[in-house]
Amino acid sequence: MRVPEKGCVLCEATWGDYWEEVEGQRMFFCCDICAVEFKNMIREIKSRTGWKSIDEVKIEGDYRGRDCIALKGDKRYGFFVRFDSKGQVQDFNNRPITEARVGPQKSKAV
Amino acid sequence: MWLNRNITKTKTDAKSLSMLFAEFFKVRKGGLQDWVKRRFVEKFYGSRPHPFVLALQHPNRGTLLGYVVEHQHFLRQWVRSCSFIMARTDATDVILYELDNINTEFGGSGPKQPSHYELLLRMGESLGLDRTKILATPALTDTVEAIQVWDNICQQDHWVEAMVAMHGLELIANRNLRKEGARMHYFDPTILETREVTDATRAFLREGYEADVGHSEEALDLAAKYADRFSIVEHVQATFMRSIDAFDRYLMARLERGRQFESA
Ligand SMILES: [Zn+2]
Repeated sequence: MRVPEKGCVLCEATWGDYWEEVEGQRMFFCCDICAVEFKNMIREIKSRTGWKSIDEVKIEGDYRGRDCIALKGDKRYGFFVRFDSKGQVQDFNNRPITEARVGPQKSKAV
Repeated sequence: MWLNRNITKTKTDAKSLSMLFAEFFKVRKGGLQDWVKRRFVEKFYGSRPHPFVLALQHPNRGTLLGYVVEHQHFLRQWVRSCSFIMARTDATDVILYELDNINTEFGGSGPKQPSHYELLLRMGESLGLDRTKILATPALTDTVEAIQVWDNICQQDHWVEAMVAMHGLELIANRNLRKEGARMHYFDPTILETREVTDATRAFLREGYEADVGHSEEALDLAAKYADRFSIVEHVQATFMRSIDAFDRYLMARLERGRQFESA
């Protein structure tokens, strides 16, 4: 799986020093919560797509929710994910990325 | 996690980090009140306004019902929080302030001036949700956890910390925040003038819009005074940051509840 060159796989922070093996690969996380969240996200993607493996997950957003695209070969799977305080998936829905619901930057308000 | 959210996501050396910290907690000329407002605006009304605030600009029925159902729990905790503050202080100005606050939020003053809590329930009814149903709905986990945070602060920390942790949150509806750099109001004020939302919704939103201004600032003035007197400004700041993190999650819970009504 392709992961960012630098920083936490989930949030890109360069703090911390928490390593964990995910999908047979040693990955860097800033903290154990990010690791739990990422693993739960991967599990959810696989169960929803039926993919055996994932090439990459592009992630945008923050603790309030993340808009993501999972890639596998030429296939794309877009979704929104939000975690609870323990890192469990609280909200996960697949929908076109352009309709991302909780995208603070995509403010429709004045 | 705290560093990532509040200071920087980039690893820095000890010296730069201590400077960043000093900058973050620095209380400037405007005092603690100003610092609290600055941090609040940054988190909820800054470059990434809170999604609930965005949704409330022109709210749909789901958003408002999410507000009603989760906020009843918040308000019941609110009274407990204010009571803890009262029980733990002997400062008369603080006691009078909290008494007045509890009355406005929960007691009300006769049929002409219902409490904020009552107005909230009426808003829910006006949107077709039965009062008994509202009252019987337990809070979502994020709300429960946030309430736990506030309850702990009020029971265990200094009452001045509790004051800022609670009354600082009232800034959410403060109209003056635009002057402090907020990008928008809590809701688009034009909805108070049109028929976009129900009468009871307007009554509820208007009350907050008009009442909370002097209100939250008076509390911050009192807290700043006593924080200085007891030399606990830094404790107050740290506790406030904890409180607004809980508030952030709590506001997300309102949205989540709102979606349940949208899809129902
Ligand atoms: Zn991280």
